[in-house]
Amino acid sequence: MESLSTSSVSGTLVTLSAVLMLLAAFACLGSKLFNRYVAYYGFQSVVLSFAAAVIAEHYGSGELWALAALTLLIKGIGIPLSTRHLLLQRLDLRRDVAVSTGLSTSLIIGALLTAFAFLVIGPQDLPAGAVASSAVPLSTALVLLGGLAMVVRRHTVAQLIGWLITENGVFLGAITLAATFPFIVEAGIFLDLVAAVLMMVAYVSGITRSLAEATASELRELRG
Amino acid sequence: MPDAVQVLQSLVVVVFAPLYVGAIARAESMVASKRGPSVFQPYRDLAKLLRKGAAISDQASWIFRGAPFVVFACYLTVSAIVPIITSVPLPLAFLADLLGGAFVLTLASFAITLAGMDTASPYGDLGASRATWIGSLVEPALILVFFTVGVLSASDNPYLMNHAVRASPYAIVLPAHLLGSLAFFMLILVENGRIPIESPGGSNEIASIEEGRVHEYSGRYYALMRWGSWMKFFLMSSIFVNVFIIPWGLDGSAHNMLGGLIAVPVLLGKLGICGLVVVVIDTSFAKLRFFRIAEFVGAAFLVALLGVVTSYVVSV
Repeated sequence: MESLSTSSVSGTLVTLSAVLMLLAAFACLGSKLFNRYVAYYGFQSVVLSFAAAVIAEHYGSGELWALAALTLLIKGIGIPLSTRHLLLQRLDLRRDVAVSTGLSTSLIIGALLTAFAFLVIGPQDLPAGAVASSAVPLSTALVLLGGLAMVVRRHTVAQLIGWLITENGVFLGAITLAATFPFIVEAGIFLDLVAAVLMMVAYVSGITRSLAEATASELRELRG
Repeated sequence: MPDAVQVLQSLVVVVFAPLYVGAIARAESMVASKRGPSVFQPYRDLAKLLRKGAAISDQASWIFRGAPFVVFACYLTVSAIVPIITSVPLPLAFLADLLGGAFVLTLASFAITLAGMDTASPYGDLGASRATWIGSLVEPALILVFFTVGVLSASDNPYLMNHAVRASPYAIVLPAHLLGSLAFFMLILVENGRIPIESPGGSNEIASIEEGRVHEYSGRYYALMRWGSWMKFFLMSSIFVNVFIIPWGLDGSAHNMLGGLIAVPVLLGKLGICGLVVVVIDTSFAKLRFFRIAEFVGAAFLVALLGVVTSYVVSV
């Protein structure tokens, strides 16, 4: 089995996708309007499914093809549409005002986190030619940026998207480093995620019937 | 013979810059379902302006009269030192690297700013103040872009960069290079007053930046200023396609005129692709409010910074 090195066509496409995903994560961090925030997440997931398809093609793995299709359907189309519907139609929220730092500050912190990811996982330390080496620190950066979005945003749905960005990063890292990962594990994670999103959406929409805005600071007051 | 190619290169910039701008204006009209002006309209404008006499304020000093020539000379200098039609350095290429080229472009901008303030016209002052503010934001981002260039070629010489990308085409999709290219493209839009920053060619005084500075000019001085700004757009777009995106199709020897002449239509084709992207952006985005420009340039800065950060991969 040919390895997924940086200079192969597949490795190049995976790296390209990783860069686009990083840019989409930054776009998420920097957007104030909810519909754009969700759209950028959807774009990121579509790119992720493309990367998964490239790796599936490279290794000829039917399981990865299935995962790529699932990613496209659920994370690229399903989740963005449903959260968009929830936020814009049902809650009538257009702008995310519940942000704890300025958008430019969060972008600068994001750039620092990316630098940190490259510092910790220097692609030059990875075995040369074995993996698409720049995709690995990029996926780590995505994990950190998703975490940052969860810290910076206070609205629950916005935090949920931050968590999904982190999940995208984990998924990208997994398929880049260990594409031959047992299908059942990945699919299990995936199902977990879908269940969590469904629960979250149901929960948030239920709770917002009584609360005008579902921000985490208000939810915290519900403790006994 | 390289001397002849050198002359040809500068001639290409001088002659085809109005065509490039005219073609983009025509394409934009066509996208908007209008017929639009002919692609040769900029040439007609130049001919008209060059025939006319210039009205100059009696308050204007020699700075006002001299600036158009300084500006035009600056852009001519840049046209001699960057790869436009050849991929081997021409006799004058030793003058400056990319950083030096940026200095010369900034010198031109400085001359325009001085000239804008010289007649004490409020529009000129306003344009000068705005352009200087934007320029101070663009500068750090541009320097970071040059760093990402340096990552691949270990140099800030545009010719070495062109060679580095041609030698290993997959370098084009390295994160550092991609992000650097994106940031450079955003800076081209800012520097040349394209749509997210300013409506090109429109002299709406509330929003004018580039147009504000040359508001007082008329006749042949105005022709030189307009021509110069078109040359700047042509030059920066050429650097973008030849150094960053499509480094192929250049004359590799500069030994005879034929190679240089063949490279001209290829260059125009590549600029057509770049112009198409500009048209798409011009027609699908709105102009930013003035203080949002800082965010746009900040985004370019961030992208370039990410490019530098991700440049560790160069050792692969």
